[in-house]
Amino acid sequence: MLFEELKDIERQPDGTPVAAEDLLRLPVFKDISPQFLKKNANATVWRHFRRGDVVCREGEFGSTAFYILEGKASVELATPIAHVKAQGRPTGFLTRLTSKLVSRLAPREEDRREDEADRRSIPIDAPVDLAYDHPVAELGPGELFGEMTCMNYYPRSATVRAVTDCTMLEMLRNVLDVLQKSKAFRAQLDETYRRRALDSHLRDVSIFRGLTQDFIDHLRDRVELVRFAPGQVICKQGDPADSFYLVRLGFVKVSEGYPGGELVLAYLSRGDYFGEIGLLGGGTRTATCSALDHVEVVRISAEDFRAMVEKYPTVRSGLERIARERQEANRERLRMVRSVPLESFLAQGLMEAQSLLVLDLDKCTRCDACVTACADSHDGVTRLVREGLRFENFLVATSCRQCRDPLCMVGCPVGAIRRRNSLEVIIEDWCIGCALCSKNCPYGNINMHSFAVQAEDHENPGHKKAVVQKKATTCDLCTEHAEPSCVYACPHDAAHRVEPRDFFAESLGQRVGRAGRVRG
Amino acid sequence: MRIDRTHKGWFIASLVIFGVVLLLYGIYRVPDASQSMGGTATGLWFGSVGFAFMIFAGLLGARKRVPVYRLGRAQTWMRGHLWLGLLSLPLILFHSGFRYGHGLTALLMTLLILVVASGIFGAALQHYMPRVMTREVTMETIYDEIDHVRAQLLEEAEGLMKQVGGGGKSAASEDQGEPGGIAVAVADEATPVRNFYERELKPFLEEPGVHRSALADAALARGAFTQLRALVPASLHTTIEDLEGICQEERQLTLQARLHLWLHGWLLVHIPLSLALILLGAVHAVMALRF
Repeated sequence: MLFEELKDIERQPDGTPVAAEDLLRLPVFKDISPQFLKKNANATVWRHFRRGDVVCREGEFGSTAFYILEGKASVELATPIAHVKAQGRPTGFLTRLTSKLVSRLAPREEDRREDEADRRSIPIDAPVDLAYDHPVAELGPGELFGEMTCMNYYPRSATVRAVTDCTMLEMLRNVLDVLQKSKAFRAQLDETYRRRALDSHLRDVSIFRGLTQDFIDHLRDRVELVRFAPGQVICKQGDPADSFYLVRLGFVKVSEGYPGGELVLAYLSRGDYFGEIGLLGGGTRTATCSALDHVEVVRISAEDFRAMVEKYPTVRSGLERIARERQEANRERLRMVRSVPLESFLAQGLMEAQSLLVLDLDKCTRCDACVTACADSHDGVTRLVREGLRFENFLVATSCRQCRDPLCMVGCPVGAIRRRNSLEVIIEDWCIGCALCSKNCPYGNINMHSFAVQAEDHENPGHKKAVVQKKATTCDLCTEHAEPSCVYACPHDAAHRVEPRDFFAESLGQRVGRAGRVRG
Repeated sequence: MRIDRTHKGWFIASLVIFGVVLLLYGIYRVPDASQSMGGTATGLWFGSVGFAFMIFAGLLGARKRVPVYRLGRAQTWMRGHLWLGLLSLPLILFHSGFRYGHGLTALLMTLLILVVASGIFGAALQHYMPRVMTREVTMETIYDEIDHVRAQLLEEAEGLMKQVGGGGKSAASEDQGEPGGIAVAVADEATPVRNFYERELKPFLEEPGVHRSALADAALARGAFTQLRALVPASLHTTIEDLEGICQEERQLTLQARLHLWLHGWLLVHIPLSLALILLGAVHAVMALRF
């Protein structure tokens, strides 16, 4: 038993509020004021789970966190590890003529996508990450899960099931918030993180794979876990660079100031890192990083960072390469902001888009051939709607814009939606179908696609049952074909997939863009 | 489809084909009025090519039914449909030696002229109307959603009227009161708005095409709303503005529906006639070759 003190505490039935006196007997609550606990008497309740009981399910919304007192729980992803793939690449002459795309679930082993992040683990809202090839882990006494859900109201990132009979404390945000300020509780969480997650966290970043176990052990006691409240600045553009950061919890906004405003460069979530450009370059921060919600980062000091890059040349070269890529992308974005003055272009978010499906309304006869073709290409579920904002005589159809400022990525509880280096939005295999990205997309361009899959029937162990699982989908540009189906099927030469800045160059008073201003 | 300079290639190719067949017709035409041009080798060739063009033009419908099939871009098919379909007319005229014929041939010729004429009419509509729709219908919605949007507008208007609330029944609902019942009119500041809504706006929103409402005309509607504003205090002007906005959107929907009908309605003539033409054309070909 982790908590000897539990022996003296009388267990109350499931759902009963935990008495303040009982909480104060637990070491993690010892720093908390008794008055606070008494005032918030109903904010922490007893939870008892029998072996096999589900504590919480992935994708569900909630507002509480769980702290395990006794017993063990498994944490797993029930949604199949697979992405939605449009299948139907034509091989023979006849199939080339008649090929039709079918959406299906394709695991990474079967369909390894180009430029895919080499992730070995899946970030979840618990002190452990899940291994990509076997997304199951075990949690035990003294471990907390559901922090992100509780603090930021994100959907549950995984399904937690009692492996043995368990006793847990379920707490509301006010209690967790105070607990997180308690030194004793922080120390325990930090210890758990260092012991259980730091290794996988570091090794999940491909450029850190070369670190030896000795060095990670050395770092283990030196890294610092730092929390930031929503809106708080973690590091400011122009300040001296003194640390390197790994995101452990929450979302970090990276932005750069420019005359007349702020440009969002990226959103970083668990497993991402920042601060290397300043440390490797001139020693000053090149962008401002701030917490979008409750954020926790692992801070590696400049001294340890320098020791690391000196000792491991491969890590240094990897970081330098990434830093160069990021700087180049940032420069490109700033160039664009400075050269696009048109207010309505900006107001409609078109500057943020990398690829737009535009319909020339002067040519479009509103026959809906594009929508029909899209639906035909994707199991009858269209990924475009012939409605949206107008810019001049063009309708910007409701179809993924591959935004440079991808708000859809903010909040994904498992970090499954990301951008390729080409800035294309991609939904990873471990999407749990919570639909948060779909709700976050300001343009309504992400749809949920249902699939019937065979899943473990927990009521009848050893048996499987058919269940409907959802996965997020967005326009895939019909990459299996040379041209998107919507464009290919337009009889009136009205539908085009375009790079907005090139396509609207003339309207924006710029010189006409590069050759191939119309893609598709 | 917009006929613009991107059609240049098709236009030149069609012109060349037309020049060649015209030349061939000039050389091989049958001067004797008693002889049939269609029965000659050249006449048969004209007929076959013209019929092949018609079939190609007719296949556009089939092509649209399988939009995903990589059978060539739909716009290429559409251009072919327009230009080859048009060329089929002179070819068939050369095939017939400019004679109308009797019975089936006369019917075929009538059908061909109607099909080509309706096609040209449709092409002209699809050339101009999208621009008209873009310019005039700024609040355009998806055509199939029009009824739904209309229901929402009505709901919105009802909501506004509920907000106006206030005194008892409007004069309009008093008039429709139960026989023998005692209708008590309670006049308040909002009464003119409620009366206007019940008598004018509601019927217009419920059945926009049925009643010949003054609100269907932008200028008359503007006048009516201006008049209404003068009858009520300023506190109700925002509500009137919202109602005017709803009314304007309704007019836009009506206009969109009308333009949509123009854009696609002609197909109700063009498609059945085309199918009949191809079917009867095949019968004519079999009969002519066999007998």
